[in-house]
Amino acid sequence: MAEHHDIEHTEAHKEHIGLPGYFAVFGVLVVGTILTYFVATIDLDSILFPGANTLVALLIAFTKMTCVILFFMHVYWQSKMIWLSAVAGFFWMAIMFAYTMQDYLTRVTGTFNP
Amino acid sequence: MTYITNGFTLKSWLLTKDHKRIALMYLIAVSVFFLLGGLYAAAIRLELLTPQSDLLESGSYNKVFTQHGVIMVFFFLIPAIPAVLGNFFLPIMIGAKDLALPRINLLSWYIYMIGGSLTLYALMQGGVDTGWTFYTPYSTTFSNGYVMAVGLGVFINGFSSILTGLNFIVTVHTMRAPGMTWFRLPLFVWANYATALVMILGTPVVAITILLLALERVGHIGIFDPSIGGDPILYQHLFWFYSHPAVYIMILPSMGVISELISNFSRKKIFGYEFIAFSSIAIAVFGFLVWGHHMFVSGQSMYAGMVFSFLTMVVAVPSAIKMFNWTATLYKGSVSYDTPMLYALGFMGLFLIGGLTGLFLGSMGLNVHLTDTYFIVAHFHYVMVGGTVMGYLGGIHYWWSKMTGKLYSEFWGKISAMLVFVGFNLTFFPQFILGYQGMPRRYAAYPEELQVLNIFSSAGASVLGLGLTLPVMYLTHSLIWGKKAPANPWMLPGLEWRIPSPPPTENFESTPVVTWEAYEFGEENGLDLDEARKRDLATV
Amino acid sequence: MSTHDHYHPPGLQHQFEDMKQQEESVSIGMWAFLVQEIMFFGGLFTAYLVFRSRYPMAFAAGSNHLDAFWGGLNTLVLIVSSLTMALTVYYAQKGNRNMQVILIIATMFFGAVFLGVKAIEYSDKFNHGLVPVAGLNHKSKAEEPAAKEEGKTAAGEKHEPNPRGEFQWTGENYEASVKIITEAHEKKYLTKYEEVGYYSNGELDQNKVRDKVRIFYWIYFVMTGLHALHMIVGLGLMTWLLIMAWRGTYSADYYSPVEISGLYWHFVDIVWIFLFPLLYLLGRHFMHGGGH
Ligand SMILES: [Cu+2]
Repeated sequence: MAEHHDIEHTEAHKEHIGLPGYFAVFGVLVVGTILTYFVATIDLDSILFPGANTLVALLIAFTKMTCVILFFMHVYWQSKMIWLSAVAGFFWMAIMFAYTMQDYLTRVTGTFNP
Repeated sequence: MTYITNGFTLKSWLLTKDHKRIALMYLIAVSVFFLLGGLYAAAIRLELLTPQSDLLESGSYNKVFTQHGVIMVFFFLIPAIPAVLGNFFLPIMIGAKDLALPRINLLSWYIYMIGGSLTLYALMQGGVDTGWTFYTPYSTTFSNGYVMAVGLGVFINGFSSILTGLNFIVTVHTMRAPGMTWFRLPLFVWANYATALVMILGTPVVAITILLLALERVGHIGIFDPSIGGDPILYQHLFWFYSHPAVYIMILPSMGVISELISNFSRKKIFGYEFIAFSSIAIAVFGFLVWGHHMFVSGQSMYAGMVFSFLTMVVAVPSAIKMFNWTATLYKGSVSYDTPMLYALGFMGLFLIGGLTGLFLGSMGLNVHLTDTYFIVAHFHYVMVGGTVMGYLGGIHYWWSKMTGKLYSEFWGKISAMLVFVGFNLTFFPQFILGYQGMPRRYAAYPEELQVLNIFSSAGASVLGLGLTLPVMYLTHSLIWGKKAPANPWMLPGLEWRIPSPPPTENFESTPVVTWEAYEFGEENGLDLDEARKRDLATV
Repeated sequence: MSTHDHYHPPGLQHQFEDMKQQEESVSIGMWAFLVQEIMFFGGLFTAYLVFRSRYPMAFAAGSNHLDAFWGGLNTLVLIVSSLTMALTVYYAQKGNRNMQVILIIATMFFGAVFLGVKAIEYSDKFNHGLVPVAGLNHKSKAEEPAAKEEGKTAAGEKHEPNPRGEFQWTGENYEASVKIITEAHEKKYLTKYEEVGYYSNGELDQNKVRDKVRIFYWIYFVMTGLHALHMIVGLGLMTWLLIMAWRGTYSADYYSPVEISGLYWHFVDIVWIFLFPLLYLLGRHFMHGGGH
């Protein structure tokens, strides 16, 4: 992927995806929003497994976010440094989630916990 | 025309975008806070001379140690090296005219001043008594102090730190002079870069944490109140997610200074450059994975405690790598014992003790015995004072001639460096024993059998206090009566020694082209220091 | 000094050698700032994660009273504003002043619509006693039947008197939450914390349930409130951008202020993309999934 950007960088810098591209991304975002809404009304938690509703909603949200970051925010054409910082932010948030939850999910019954 | 003589009006300082002037403004502000925090420390040590709570009653004592902590941590230790020395020398060391975002740099100083003033205002109104950690539910529900005002001050101050970090990251990425590759960067730059990463990744979390604390104090929703379903430990998680890495914000830049000093005053290329550079980054990254070691006895899950304990051992490795490499650099180097080097050697001794006792505290079983005793107080003072303050003072002495164009008295410099070292050990080593014997921290009174060691500690504090006052005097003295400094008093190869002292506003006549590695003592700059002294090039 | 001899393009600051270096610096700076923003919101998302994993049913019940229509509409509004923002950058790169001005105004319009909808939602919460801070809700006196009557006709549901403006979780709201909590209780879906957190001596405790729902509303207000604050800052940024674009500052050679303002705007949009499902849609399937 990396070499692709380096080549693309110079000539595609000004145009990016062009008007049709922007509207296509916009379309994906709108469809994603509507889909999120309707999927939430279906009881996936019973049909599939508990938490499935949230999982699907988050998957759609991640897809939408990726579209915005890559195309609206032009990261697709950017240097590796920008890719890295975009990923690093979410990676560090994941660290915060994971290491906080490793406490909450493994607490044994005691004074503070039922 | 130098950067100092480029305009004499107040406006030319307060609206300056010159990184060097902003660094001096930071130097003054940070020194004022250091003095204030030191006065609180003096009050603490005076109270602890006697076992009874006589000089200060418990309530005032709580306020005094809280304010000592808040001021020292947030307004001295965190900004000291990056905002003063980093601000001044990072652009010069990479061959740039300024930081990439000078206006943001000035903004960060103003934010620091606003946050600081707000905190000072709260202290004058009556202060806080929560401890610098603002633990819930005491801070949200019970404390009558000015928690909101101090919290807001710390919140605002956080953004000054974020902006400094942001500026450093951008500058290192885009402002390096031609030929200044990543692996030619002086290690001080690497250290500040790693610090900047921690600043932008960690500081926003403490900002939001303090915001939550403030909202809880106003609204009483109970998210930190276990009786209605909240969790006080959540506060600790969020707080330490920043505040453990904050320890690295304090110590990493200092390690950067030490790398400079050890290599330059051994007149030898540093041993294991890449290892030191990458260990800074490793510390910045792994430092985020260990915060739970502050919470072993607070109700955190035992299993989480094990993970955090293990990772704490892991994060000691990169620090140890640095220690080994510094030692290897000293080996067979032509070491000269100038004042900055005395501080650097002091750092190595004190940080070694501070770091190793950190491992004691990081092992869960021992921690149960030692936590919240004077052992922990001694440990983090060995890291914060023995590490950060020693590095800061070493750096200030090292670069003083460059910053001001004047030479300080080397005689008094050495005296004070030794006083600081002796006074520091006398103050804090007895506290290890006191803590091991079970003296809890944050109490104004203690059992009589512990008095002897406490007297040692207080006596040491006065020696330390003297050692820290002397530099203020002889450095100020040098500003007016000091000898004019040559461009390169120590005959060193770094970029900052190739420009006049003090530097011109634009730093370099023309953009330098770097063709040498860091710490390369070649023919023209690797002169024997003794020889140079004989030719009166260096009179320090 | 060589720097003063050669040609200086407009907008090039003195510390940079050329425009490329400046653009790169500004763009990395903005991204570093966004990383900072992610961590800022990250603290709140952590609090959300902790409490939702403890009290999922209280979160679902609280979420059901948020209006997913307004939330969904706002999502669409923000997406449109993101599109107009992206197009602003596109036309700035082309140096098309008129399209820039039009699109910035459109972006600001949609941003304002978003805040307007937010105000409608907040006032609804205010009127229904759902602001988690005591004293910040609509205060209705017990002895005033008129106020009671008004509340009944306006929302079509029974209103408890709320003389001190406290957080209330009563009437239909409470009954709806009783339904999903007991159902989950029977199916043994409740977490340990919920078993203790909703029940007293085996009986569902209205006050205990209210406290947990209040935590949800507190998180809702802090998250959306901070997000709205970012929107307001964004509108300020857009105003400045509008003035600059009006003056024709931006061209194919110099448009990085437009680009980095766009980055900020898109980031705020992304935060909302997550807030919408995580706050508004938690318990939808309990309301509509009849076969439960
Ligand atoms: Cu720690």
